[in-house]
Amino acid sequence: MVAEEHRALLVGAGAVGARAARQLVSLGPLGELFVGDLDTDLAATVAATIGEPVTAGAVEDFVPGPGDVAVLASAGEHRPLAERALERGAHVVSVSDRPGDVAALLDLDAEARERRCHVVVGAGFSPGLSCVLVARAATTFEWVDEVHVARIGTGGPACAHHHHDSLAGVVPEWWDGQWVRRRAGSGRQLCWFPDPVGGVDCYRAVTPDRLLLVDAVPGVRRVSIRVAANRRDRVTAHLPMLRRPHPEGAVGAVRVEVRGRRGAVRDEQVLGAVDRPALAAAAVCALAARWALDGRLRRAGAGGLAELVEPIPFLAALAERGVKAASFQGAAAAS
Amino acid sequence: MRVLRRALMALAVAGVIAGALRLRGSGGVPPQGGGWRELTGTDLPPT
Repeated sequence: MVAEEHRALLVGAGAVGARAARQLVSLGPLGELFVGDLDTDLAATVAATIGEPVTAGAVEDFVPGPGDVAVLASAGEHRPLAERALERGAHVVSVSDRPGDVAALLDLDAEARERRCHVVVGAGFSPGLSCVLVARAATTFEWVDEVHVARIGTGGPACAHHHHDSLAGVVPEWWDGQWVRRRAGSGRQLCWFPDPVGGVDCYRAVTPDRLLLVDAVPGVRRVSIRVAANRRDRVTAHLPMLRRPHPEGAVGAVRVEVRGRRGAVRDEQVLGAVDRPALAAAAVCALAARWALDGRLRRAGAGGLAELVEPIPFLAALAERGVKAASFQGAAAAS
Repeated sequence: MRVLRRALMALAVAGVIAGALRLRGSGGVPPQGGGWRELTGTDLPPT
C-alpha cells in the first residue's frame, strides 16, 4: 500500500493539533486525515477549515488501521490511545510532555518492535525539536559528555499547566553517569536564547526530556533540563494555577548546549530556535508522522526524535516549513 | 521603640523570604562576543 492511501488520525484539535492537521495535509498526499477531539464541534471546525481530505469525529471514533499513523496531541494520557493504535498495526506520534506518560509510551518499545511499528515519543517543541537539535549537535563530536537543554514558553493550556506543575517536586537528573535527585525550581542559570528572546533565568524542572536523551546519546555523563520561570512561577508552583492559562503562549525558544570531544580537544556547540511553541510542535509532530508513513525513521520501536530521525534532513525539512534553527558562534556562552 | 522593632522584624522577614526565593546558582554571565547565526546552506542541505 502506498503512503497516500494511508490515513493519519489526529487526536486533539487544540493549539497544536489544529495546526498539525494543516501541516499534515500540506506535507503530502493522504487517504484521509481524521481529526478527533472531546469537543466534537472544535474538531468539525478544524475539518471544515482545511477541507479535503480531513474528516472529524469524537475520540471514540479513533480507529486506525495497519500502516496508518496516529498523531496524539490531546491533553489527556496518550498511552491508552497508543496501545489501541499499536494493536491495529498503526504508527504513533505523541506530543506528550508529561514524564509519566512519556515513560509509559517508551515502555511500548518491545511491542512496537515486534509489530514493526514506530512510536515517536515527545514529538513537540521540547521535548521534540530540542531532541533533534541535540542529535544535530552531537554529530559534530566524536564523544559527547554533557547535554544541557533550556526552554522558554508554552503552547496551549495543557502545556501551560504542565509548565506550572514542573517547577514543584523532585527532578531526577543524570549527573556523572547516575541519577541524582534535585529540587525542581532550583539551580538558577542565566541561559541565552536566540534573539529576540535573549537572556532568561532558567531552573530545573520536572520534564521528560531526560528520559529521551540519556538513551539517545551513548556515553553521555550529564544531562540537565531547565525551563524559564519567574519568582511568581516558583512560589506558586505548589499551588493550583491561580488563573486560567492563555489559549496559547507567546513566542518561545529552545536552546541546547552539547559538550564533548573532537580528537584531543574538548569543545561545545550551542544550538537554538525561536518560534511559538505550539506552531513549532505542530510542524515537528506532523513531519515525524509523515516520515513514519514514508518509512524514513531509523528503526521500529519506541523512542524520541534524537534516536529516530536523521537530524540534518529533519531540520532542513523543518526550516522549509519556517521552523529555523540557529547556532551560537563566537565566545562561549558562560552559563 | 515598638514601631522600630516591628519595622526591623518586617525587614528581617522580608530579607529571609527574598533570600529563600533567590535560591542558589551562579546565574551565569552574558556571552562576551559572537551571536546567533541561522543554520542554512551547508549546515542543512535541501531535502
